[in-house]
Parts: sequence; C-alpha cells; structure tokens
Amino acid sequence: MAEPQPPNLHEGATTGDVEDEVQAAKSAEDRKAAAAMASMGSNGADDANGSTAVDQEAASKAMKSLGGEANKPAAAVQKKVKVDAADVTLLVDQLDLTKPKATELLKAHDGDAVKAMKASIAV
Amino acid sequence: MPQPLSAKENSLFRQVIRNYEDKQYKRGLKAAEQILKKNPKHGDTMAMKALIINQQGNTDEAFALGKQALMADMKSHICWHVYGLLYRHQKNFEEAIKAYKSALKLEPDSLQIQRDLAFLQVQMRDYQGYIQSRTAMLQARSQIRQNWTALAVAHHLAGDLTQAETVLTKYEESLKIPPSKTDFENSEAVMYKNTIIAEQGDYQRALDHLESIAKTNLDRLAVMELRAEYLTKLEKKEEAVKAYRALLDRNAEHPDYYNKLIEVMGIPDEDTAAKKAIYDEYSEKKPSLRCCQASASGFCDVFREAAKKYLTFMLDKGVPSTFANLKHLYVDSSKKEVLEALAHEYYEAKKSDAGEAKADDPFKGEGAALYYLAQHYNFHLSRDLTKAMEFVNKGIEKAPDNVEFQMTKARIIKHTGNTQKASEEMDKARNLDLKDRYINTKAAKYQLRNNETEKGLETVGLFTRNDSPAGPLNDLLDMQCIWFMTEDGEAQVRKGNVGLALKRFHTVYNIFDVWQEDQFDFHSFSLRKGQIRAYVDMVRWEDHVRDHPFYTRAALGAVKLYLDMHDGKTLTDGVNGDDKNGDAAERKKAAKKARKAEREAAEKAAKQDPNKPKAALAATTEPLVEATKFLVHLLTYTPKNLEAQLAGFEVYLRREKYVLALGCLNAALALDASHPTVHEHTIRFLTAIRSKMASLPPKVQEVIKSEFTAIAPSTDLEEFNDEFFAKHKGSVPHAIAAIKMKELVDEDEDKASVEKQLAALLGAPEITFEDAQTILTILRGSGSKELDEFKKKAAEKWPEVTAFA
Repeated sequence: MAEPQPPNLHEGATTGDVEDEVQAAKSAEDRKAAAAMASMGSNGADDANGSTAVDQEAASKAMKSLGGEANKPAAAVQKKVKVDAADVTLLVDQLDLTKPKATELLKAHDGDAVKAMKASIAV
Repeated sequence: MPQPLSAKENSLFRQVIRNYEDKQYKRGLKAAEQILKKNPKHGDTMAMKALIINQQGNTDEAFALGKQALMADMKSHICWHVYGLLYRHQKNFEEAIKAYKSALKLEPDSLQIQRDLAFLQVQMRDYQGYIQSRTAMLQARSQIRQNWTALAVAHHLAGDLTQAETVLTKYEESLKIPPSKTDFENSEAVMYKNTIIAEQGDYQRALDHLESIAKTNLDRLAVMELRAEYLTKLEKKEEAVKAYRALLDRNAEHPDYYNKLIEVMGIPDEDTAAKKAIYDEYSEKKPSLRCCQASASGFCDVFREAAKKYLTFMLDKGVPSTFANLKHLYVDSSKKEVLEALAHEYYEAKKSDAGEAKADDPFKGEGAALYYLAQHYNFHLSRDLTKAMEFVNKGIEKAPDNVEFQMTKARIIKHTGNTQKASEEMDKARNLDLKDRYINTKAAKYQLRNNETEKGLETVGLFTRNDSPAGPLNDLLDMQCIWFMTEDGEAQVRKGNVGLALKRFHTVYNIFDVWQEDQFDFHSFSLRKGQIRAYVDMVRWEDHVRDHPFYTRAALGAVKLYLDMHDGKTLTDGVNGDDKNGDAAERKKAAKKARKAEREAAEKAAKQDPNKPKAALAATTEPLVEATKFLVHLLTYTPKNLEAQLAGFEVYLRREKYVLALGCLNAALALDASHPTVHEHTIRFLTAIRSKMASLPPKVQEVIKSEFTAIAPSTDLEEFNDEFFAKHKGSVPHAIAAIKMKELVDEDEDKASVEKQLAALLGAPEITFEDAQTILTILRGSGSKELDEFKKKAAEKWPEVTAFA
C-alpha cells in the first residue's frame, strides 16, 4: 500500500528553487513579495502558464517530433570499444585521472593506451 | 516498498515536511521523533530527520542517519532524494546526481527530483544528461515556454546549434496567438534564437531573421549592433557603414564603433588622414568627446600636430589621467619620442611665463607637465628613474599637498627596489588624503610588498567595516578581497610564515570555488526571468573563471610552497635560518622534527576549529597531492602560461608521473624554448629518464621515446649545458640556469663549487638587482655558506635595495 504524499512535496525547497509551482505563502507580506517578484521580469505572471497562447495539442505534437531527433546524435556517439582493464589502471596511474575519465579517453582512442597518452600530452 | 503508517502518523509525517519547509526545525524534529517512537524503522521519517539535522549544521550525523534511512527503505524515493540533497549540501555533486537518478527511477513523475537533477547536471556540465532531463521536463509540462527555451539552451551548450534552433522554432509554430509586443520573455527568446542562427555562421539568414523581428523587439541596441555586425560579415559595406553611423549617433563615446566603422569603410591602416577625418567629424559635432580626441591623436603623419593639440589641452586643464590616456601609444618608439619632446617643450614654455601668471591651481600647466614627465620616465618603455625622480621632486616642491606627485614618487622608488622607502613614501601620500580609498589601498599594498603585513592589514582596515567582530581580515574575507589575500600570502612567503601563506592561498582558491558555485541559482532564475542571452554568457564565463590572474598567482605561490615542503627545505615557522651553518642533513632532521611537532599541534587545534587552521595546512603529509589540487586548474585554464607549465613539470617529476611531466615540458618548449628554466627542465628530465626508464611500463617507455624530442636521448648533457652557457653569454638568468645544472651533469662540480659560481655572477657587468635577488633566493634555499657574503656584497652594490639590507 502506497502511503499518500502531499501532492506538491518538495524536500529541497530551502535550497532548490520552485519555478512554476506557486508555493503557499506564509504571510500576507510574503505573498505580496512573491507576487511582485513573479511579475517583475515576465510582464504578468499569467504568461508563465501560457495556457491562453499555447495550443496544447500543437505543443505536444511539436514535442513528439523533437523527441525522435533528439535521441539520434546521442546514440551515434556511443561506439563500442573494448578496453583492457590493465590499460585503464595504467592511465589512471600515469595521467592522474579518475577511472571513468581514463576509460573514456581510452575509448576515444580505440583502446590504444599509447595513443591515448600521446594525445593527452599533445601540445 | 514504502512502509505504511497509521493515519495519525501520516498526518504527523506531513507536518514534519511542512515544518522542514518552514524552517521550523525543532518542531519538525519533535514530530519525527514521535513517529519513530512507534515505527523505529520508518525510512522516510528517518530521512526527513537527517535532512533537518543537516540543516542545523550537523552534517556527519545527518549522513549517518541518511544512510540508515536508505538501509531501512531502499525503495523509497524520498530516502534517495534526501541522500542526494545531503551530498549536494556537501558539494559532492557527482554522488548527488547518482542519488537523484536512483530517486527518479523510483518516482519518474516527480517534477521536484527531476528539476534538482537537471540543475546539478548543468552545474557539472553534463550536457547530455541535461538534455535528457530537460526533454523529460518538457514532456511533463509542454505548455510552459521556459521548458522549451531550457531545452534549447541545453542543446546550445552541448554544441548542437541546429537542434537548439529547431526547438525554439517548434515552440513558435505551436503558438496560436502571437505573444504581445510587451512580452519581455518573448522578445528575449527571439533574440536568443537570432544569436543561435548567427553562431551557426549563417549570417544572411540571421540578418533576415533580425529584420523580421527588428520592429517589435524590445532590445533596440542589441538589434542595431547585431545588424551592423551581420552586414559587415556579409560584406554589405554601404549598409554596414550606415548601421555604424546610426550607432555613433546614439553613442559617440564608444571607441569600438569607430574602429568598426573605419574597418567597413575599407580605409587602409596607412591612410591616417581619412581616419582622422572621421574622428574630426564627430568631435566637431560634440567638442567634449575625449575618447575621440585621444584616438585621433594616434595617427602618425599628423601625429605631432594632433598630439600637441591634445597634450596642450589636457595639461592646461590639468587632467591627471593624461599619461594613462596616452601610454598605449608608447609601443611605437617614434611616437614615444614625439610625446617626450612635446612634453618638454610645453614644460619649458610654461616655466618661463610662470612668473607673471601664477596659476591658482598648482596642478594645471607647469605642474601637470611635471607630473606627465615624471610618469613618462617611470614607465617601463621609457624608463630613466633618475630623471623621473628629478621631475617628481620639482613637482612636490610646487605642490607639496598633492597626492599624485607623492604617489608617483613612491612608485618610482619601488622600481629602484627599495620597498622600505617606497612603502614609507606611499604612506605619506596616504596621509595627504585620508578619505581616498584608492591611495589607502595603494599604501597597504606597498606595505605588504615591504613585508609589513600587520601594518598593511591595519591600513586596509581603515576602510573596512569596523563593526565586524574578528577585525578587518574577516570583512576582507566576506568581501572576497582577493588582491589582499594574494599580496598578503606572497608577503608571508617572503617572511617564511609558510602556514599563514598557505592559508591565504587556500582562501583565494576557495573564493574561486564560491564563484563557481554562485552560478547554481541562476540555472533556474535566469530561465524564469527569460534572460537567456545573459545566462549563456554567464555559463561560458564560469567555464573559464579560473584563468583569472589572481588565481594563477595564488596557485603558483601555493605550488611553490608545497614543492619546497616536499624537498624539505622550507624554513617553517619554528625553524628559521639561524642554523644555516649546520650541515644539510642536520637541518633536514631539525625541519622534520619541527614539522612533526607542528603537525601534532595542528591535529589538536583541528579538533577545536573546524576551519582548517594555518598550522594544519603547513603540516600536510602529502604536499605534492595538495600542490596538484592547485595545479590541475592552472594547467586546464591557463595552459599558455609558461610559469604554470614549469610548475607542472616540477610537481609531476617529483611524483614520477613522467608522461605528464613530459607534457608540461613540451608545452613549455612550445611557449619559449630559450627560457632558462626550460633548459634546466630538459636536462633534469633526461637525467631522470636515464635512471628510471627501465623500471617504467613498456607502454610508457614507448610514449616517452616518441614524444621526447627536445634533444636526442644520447646527448652528452655536460656538453649540451656548456653550449647553452656559451650561446647565451651576457644573460644572467641563462647563466644561473646553466650553472645550476652543472651540479647535475658535471662530475667535477659539487654543491659548494656551484654556489661559488653563482655568487660570482655578482661581478657580471649586466647583472640587475632582480637577478641578484634570484641568486639570493637560491642560496638561501640551499642553506649555502656563500649567503652572507653574497648579501653583503650585493648590499654594497645596490645600497637602496631593501632585499639585501
């Protein structure tokens, strides 16, 4: 059984930033200040919701068409290269790198440790 | 599995969250305890309790509890989220990202977690991750404009300009009603899109787009500037000229517009008459334009005439910044001479008729000329300190109360190497105008240069907030006053207070950290306010904030100290140079002992004071690791700085990271192959490699063999060194390097004979007091017997230089 949570739970409220959820203001003064802040840069807080200006359907359609394209370039970057663990250790030691960074560097040079080291000190 | 609670406790739990948000930590804690009494293993409550404890400043305890909470309830997104928040609070952003991701997996629809994650990703420059987060956020709430803009920014920062533009266009297309003309967010977003088009290099399209939005856009100036820029790039000269003229009509004091106008008009560099005509045209329209006149006087064949007019005008008025306005012309030696002659001419003319028309302000006319001449002879391109002194003294005679003259006098004395006197004179200047922060700061700086650290602090203290409880230093810290920290650190180095010096350098380091973190709030703020162009600028600025000269100075200072510490030659607080007559081994022992004692004291102190005390910094057991911390940023952000590469070599060679040391050496060679220290490093690298090569992994050997190309591996180093010595005869810094290396490459030489030769350099005809200071530092560092003798002789040679006194 899931325990019910308040709908607008945000633990990070003190450090994080609540951008579009209007936080319940504590006092009248706070509310006033919040309203003033919100209207400062955006010429009326209403625009932020934009529900009047945006065609909901068109927006989501536009977004879907984006989604397909967005994933492609990321996939292309991920090339499968076999990396020798000993080479990773060598690079970590010689080049003062973290393990993930060393692995990344090796992958970028087809797993060739010598090439990777040469490239890392190239002027 | 989230653990169920009874209805009553559920409402209590909600109260805990509310209390936390309202910062009512005590109440929240009480409520949490109440729940835990009945359900001691309730993960969410434990997590919330940890969060509250953390806010109260008890980080370690909070972390322990946060971990327990996770153990109790691995499947709770609240526990993971809290864990991430704790890490974030500790500034361990990488771990925080991991925790947020786990939380998000358990609760994919949580906007809050998604947002927290996104900001961390952009802060850490994980752009691919940021794009993913932003896409998810857009999917969740696609009707909000800023989510679209944010995704575009993510693509933009990741370098995918086309995608960024597509996102913006897609949003615009989905609008049913065009946004109102006064919609600032829209105006900014449209301009942002325009800059993205331009960044792709497609200026025609950028121009067309700009024309289509020009009428309605709110940022007029940006539209005009961009239009002029695009037209220039597209080589539409006539229109570009018109655009720049329009800009000049708005603001004729912007030198950049003139330069660009001249550029697009196609006026060649030599055609100074045509250039002057343009400046004249505008200065006629508005005779008060100063920038115009100063620039106009920069053109050659009419130079004398223009400069005369300008100089006379400025000196008649007694404008103090006259020299500062003109000194950029001094790189051209013919102009330098003309200006010198003109100033003399003016001075003579004024001197002769000074009798009849006693000027009411001593700083106008003759006084201004004296001031100009004093600065002229003090400037490094036209330096003649005796003459400078002469003119400044005449000036002081004329106007004894004038700060400017007194200050210049101090500056002239500084250039003679007499920091003691310079500091005194600058303090005199300060006393002439006690309300002037500028002269106060100057005086403090000169005191620090003269190693009067306490007095310096007192002097700056006159202008800090005096209600701060821990004295002026605290206020300087709050104000992130890096110049003071750097200067004071360097002064402490000279005084041998290693701990205090390191503390200052660490302070500078930390201030830069704070600047790095300061951007965090803007990831959301700028988007909310719609100021995207400024935001992107800021993110890019943050990416290279550490190439700031003060970071470089502080980092180099710290690295140097840590190196000395590693070599065991630093004279730490307790061990001063008194026992320098004892042999080296004994000194080392003493230093070790002192360090150990200090370390113990530091450990004790560390328990009382959470802020690293100075002794702890000086007592680090791994000075090279600490040095690397400073070094990494140096090499990343200022790779073109020779000093940085040299420092890098020193650190990596000692750490036996030969590949990296070679990297620094090669970079240094590329920057300045004939630099004396680069010569030293080449020899030292080869020597090190010769003895260590066999023990290195084969792959490393291969890299070194192919990349070490400065000299052949079989080079006879003694010969190589001698050649270098002969080649650079007449240069003392090169001689110092060559002699230092003799100890390493020449079997006949030992420490004592090398030191003798170094000391003998004092007799070289071309030696300057700066060179002698370098030798002094070397001799002092190695605890040489020659030290006292050398100092005495140097003091005879340069009686005015404080360092030898």
